[in-house]
Amino acid sequence: MTPLKTVLLDPALKLGADFPAWRRVGGGEGLAAALAAPQAIISTLEAAQLRGMGGAGFPTWRKWSAVVAAASDDKVVVCNGNEDEPGTFKDRYLLRFTPHQVIEGALIAAIAVKASEVIFYVNPHQAEGLEVMRRAVMEWTATDLLAAVEAAVGRPIKLRVAPSAGRYVGGEETAIVSWLDGDFPFPQRKPPYPFENGVGGRPTLINNVETLANVPHILKNGANWYRALGLGIAAGTKLFSLSGDVLRPGLYELPMGTSLQDLVFGHGGGMLERRGFKAVFTGGPSNTLLTVRDLDVALDFDSVRARRSHLGTGAMIVISEGTSIVRKVAEYVAFFANGSCGQCPSCKCGTFQMARLLERIATGRGSGADRQALEHLCSILPGSGRCGLIDGAVTVVKSSIETFPEEYPSQLRDVS
Amino acid sequence: MMSTTSLSVSAVPYADALTRLRTAAAQASPAEALSREELLAAYHPDHNEDARVALRVGGNRGMLCHPTLACLLEGNALVGDVDLVALDPVVTDVLVIGGGGAGAAATLAARRGGADVVLAAKLRVGDSNTVMAEGGIQAAIGEEDSLQRHFDDTLKGGHGAGEPELIARLVRDAPEVIRWLIGLGVSFDLAEGPLAGGRLLRKRGGGTTAARILSHRDFTGLEMMRVLREAVELDRGVTVLNRAPAIELLSDERGRCVGAVLYDLELRRLRLVCAGAVVLATGGAGRLHLSGFATSNHYGATADGLALAYRMGAQLRDIDSFQYHPTGIAWPGHLAGGLISEAVRSFGATLVNGQGARFIDELSPRDVVTSAILRECAEGRGVVRDGLIGVFLDTPTLLANRPALLREQLVSLGHLAHRAGIDPTREPMLIYPTLHYQNGGVVIDTDGASTVPGLYCAGEVTGGVHGRNRLMGNALLDIIVFGRRAGAAAARHAAAAEPGRFGLGHVQSWQRELTCAGLIEGPRSPILYPAYGHFDLRRHMAASQD
Amino acid sequence: MSDRIRLSVDGRMLEVATPVSILQAASADGTPLTANVGCLGQGVCGACRCMVRKQDEADVTTVLACETLAEDGMQVSFIDYFIPDRPHVYDVAEITDVWRLSNAVSGIFPEAAQCRHCGGCDRACPKELDVQRGVALAVAGDLAGAAGIFDQCVMCNLCTLACPERIWPNHLGLMVRRALTALTLRPSDLIHRLNELERGGDVLDLSGTASTGTAAVVSDGR
Repeated sequence: MTPLKTVLLDPALKLGADFPAWRRVGGGEGLAAALAAPQAIISTLEAAQLRGMGGAGFPTWRKWSAVVAAASDDKVVVCNGNEDEPGTFKDRYLLRFTPHQVIEGALIAAIAVKASEVIFYVNPHQAEGLEVMRRAVMEWTATDLLAAVEAAVGRPIKLRVAPSAGRYVGGEETAIVSWLDGDFPFPQRKPPYPFENGVGGRPTLINNVETLANVPHILKNGANWYRALGLGIAAGTKLFSLSGDVLRPGLYELPMGTSLQDLVFGHGGGMLERRGFKAVFTGGPSNTLLTVRDLDVALDFDSVRARRSHLGTGAMIVISEGTSIVRKVAEYVAFFANGSCGQCPSCKCGTFQMARLLERIATGRGSGADRQALEHLCSILPGSGRCGLIDGAVTVVKSSIETFPEEYPSQLRDVS
Repeated sequence: MMSTTSLSVSAVPYADALTRLRTAAAQASPAEALSREELLAAYHPDHNEDARVALRVGGNRGMLCHPTLACLLEGNALVGDVDLVALDPVVTDVLVIGGGGAGAAATLAARRGGADVVLAAKLRVGDSNTVMAEGGIQAAIGEEDSLQRHFDDTLKGGHGAGEPELIARLVRDAPEVIRWLIGLGVSFDLAEGPLAGGRLLRKRGGGTTAARILSHRDFTGLEMMRVLREAVELDRGVTVLNRAPAIELLSDERGRCVGAVLYDLELRRLRLVCAGAVVLATGGAGRLHLSGFATSNHYGATADGLALAYRMGAQLRDIDSFQYHPTGIAWPGHLAGGLISEAVRSFGATLVNGQGARFIDELSPRDVVTSAILRECAEGRGVVRDGLIGVFLDTPTLLANRPALLREQLVSLGHLAHRAGIDPTREPMLIYPTLHYQNGGVVIDTDGASTVPGLYCAGEVTGGVHGRNRLMGNALLDIIVFGRRAGAAAARHAAAAEPGRFGLGHVQSWQRELTCAGLIEGPRSPILYPAYGHFDLRRHMAASQD
Repeated sequence: MSDRIRLSVDGRMLEVATPVSILQAASADGTPLTANVGCLGQGVCGACRCMVRKQDEADVTTVLACETLAEDGMQVSFIDYFIPDRPHVYDVAEITDVWRLSNAVSGIFPEAAQCRHCGGCDRACPKELDVQRGVALAVAGDLAGAAGIFDQCVMCNLCTLACPERIWPNHLGLMVRRALTALTLRPSDLIHRLNELERGGDVLDLSGTASTGTAAVVSDGR
């Protein structure tokens, strides 16, 4: 079984807002390395192959480069701590227990893109985490570290903690911009992207909490060190939020590329009540399902993609035999229906109609025509909204029909 | 579905007819060569040879009836006793069947009378002919008007065949009905003055001697139905069952009506509702497309209630009498049958044939106007466009004189014209009679009681109010007057009723009669949906067992 | 004049002759039609709500199928008639003080003040009513203005389904309309007749011969 890693989850770093204690265990050394060679920051991240941990898995260095390239000398860094999807609970841990490594990563980003403002966007439902982040940010003011960063950027840097709207859609990048600009967190049409036109119209870098937390360790220990942490083709570690029908649900830091088998049956302790493994909602409820056939898959972005799934945030919701997949999907689609921001009737009405069809099927009242209608919705809805909420809902529905067709009414049956 | 009078009859091509219309001088109302009776006898669809057969079974055996309707009335039941086994009934005071204006009014009145109510609708509450009504509702409130005049107009309009007591009830209740509707929040247009103290806008319709049709723009039915539906849906004492058509009534050992068998389309199962009294408010029969006519009616107008009531022994009347509204849209074909309100003629639009001539007083009673149009088309003076025949409704002239009408009073006309791709200010509409209203139906008294104890009826399903031809604005009045009375009476009946056994004894009696008449292998009724609804009850139920 | 087109409805491929409405096309293959159907073209009952994606377009719009022409390559999904949560219950008879009508409105529809201005209701409305503005007017106390906006509403409930704040906009509009009418519409001619009837003015001659010589039932159209 692949052993646990303790980079982000190193117990020695579990210090909350205590700045001096954090400095004593080596906190700030990544920032020092960045200050020593600011022009090498992005190339280091490129060599390290750090990917975005908020769900998209986008190469981090490319996002930072895009902001660097934006024509403006007034830029913003946003640390996205909205984390509001069922099954993901990693960012809240980092913010509450290891805020300083997150702040350090954000400041390294500020150096790289020459930002004048760094905003920590935290979900207010995580009341303790919000409080800790506020204290932690306060600890940085008037420190020599911050002064060095400001010197490198060439201007004063404003640090602040902004509570998010506490809504599911509020994690989407353009929604973050809407909210920070004082409006409801409505996703907007893209382009323009935040890296060109973000908070207050300024080029904005938005990165997930876990992504930023990795940055100081990479700068301190080097790209080779980071790559070597991963298995196979993968680099670094991943925080997996393991939940569902397992003996030991929880947050696990493991090498990227750890097998699903190891995660569920090794660290997770196997299935509850010794039931059979049925499926896992990979990356959370807006992605695809992996099944018994996929227990050998390496949990990294590219290997999971090759299995036609998506690592997402690293959330793994495990489902045991005896659970109705349709019922679970119906619950998730209802979650999406309620989380829809309202701008796009196709999303709001589409998710509600899918939820209704799923509910009917889950309670044994569905017909072949209902299944056909559901599949049809899956083909007409993607791309019709301003953000990916409706696409995520469709993805999980389609995946459930493909992986568990026997739970859906047969297509050959009846007239409605 | 369209009564395309086949092109063995000649007609004037559209383009020629249009030219003649535009070049014709303004015309006075033509003198009528035939008497009204002669015109009807020669051209009204009710009078066609193949429009009548005698019923072969039932309480009105021998009565004349349209053959298509006779098929339903003579039909066998859809269910038998075996289907009721293991069904747990819902028990209530009053069961209302039908979600239109009459059903809603009955529901509210029954509630007012202290009853718990179950309202079962085949589609949804509000899906009805009521919501489609445009013209308005009659009430004799003008200074120059009187209840007597309203009574006389109605009796005469119905060719003297209406039941005087029912008509008296209708006209007497009218002012109070308007007040009741206003109290619920139904708005009516004012002619002038402020909301408090002003005067209501009143229109004349065909066959009325005074202007007494009250309206809300030209969608009075929508205004009324949405308020009634909301009032019903917000009443916690009403259980609304949508998608639950009634497929049979229930009877007790004394032959009283004690409920109904519903079919739950969602769960694909039968449901029983046992009630102290039942109100049938199932509307009309337009979707039977009698004699192949297009219809203005709602999708659910398939004479369900008539079949159920007759099977139970209720007396019927005037079931060979149907109203064909003169101005159904004829072109384009996919909109055929859609109604253009009589209000357009009330405001002064004229009917013009293919030769550019007027041919009838546009505000004659509807059956007269319809017959006149059918005559023009039969005698080669119709207009044909893309194989569809009709006559012109001259909206351009009307709207040239009164352009504001399209924005204010004739909103629905504007919408319909837009959907047809026609600019009504420049182009006349091609119209042809459309099957519109069932004049006759279940015999009722002034409380809506049928001849079957416990069975009350209201609205288009009933007969005797409109005789053999209904006046514009009397249908919306009918449904509220008798809907309220039936609901109140049903509540009183339910309060006094002693519970008995429920069953299908009346079905067994019926089947014996059918057997004796050699009709037991015939089709079943009610049909619930028109043929193009592709619905078969047994197949629908069976699909749930796969 | 008739071309043939192909479209898909709820996953069924259909080929029909134009012009035809989406609703007419929907049952062209013999599929039973027992829901989402009503006035069949008048566009006044709101039953036939559906989502439509046109060929080569990313947008999905909500329309009434009976009043929308079917086009080649259209993809249509009907929306069941259901409501996502509880209605706002009130009895119009219990609203008696016009001075306090605005308070009654906000008491019965408290969510209206939380409108997030997403515009979903406007986009969802198949009649292109200014729904969001109607809600805002009601909240601001301009009840007549709000009532006017909902004049032609067919109560299809698409805005209610589309609203993320549970405002039930069309029901708010209807409530305002109902209350204003019930509290303020007092036509003098109607009242006069009602008073007459109360004093016993409803004696009728049922014989059918009482028509006072007005032979002119038929007259010139004006």
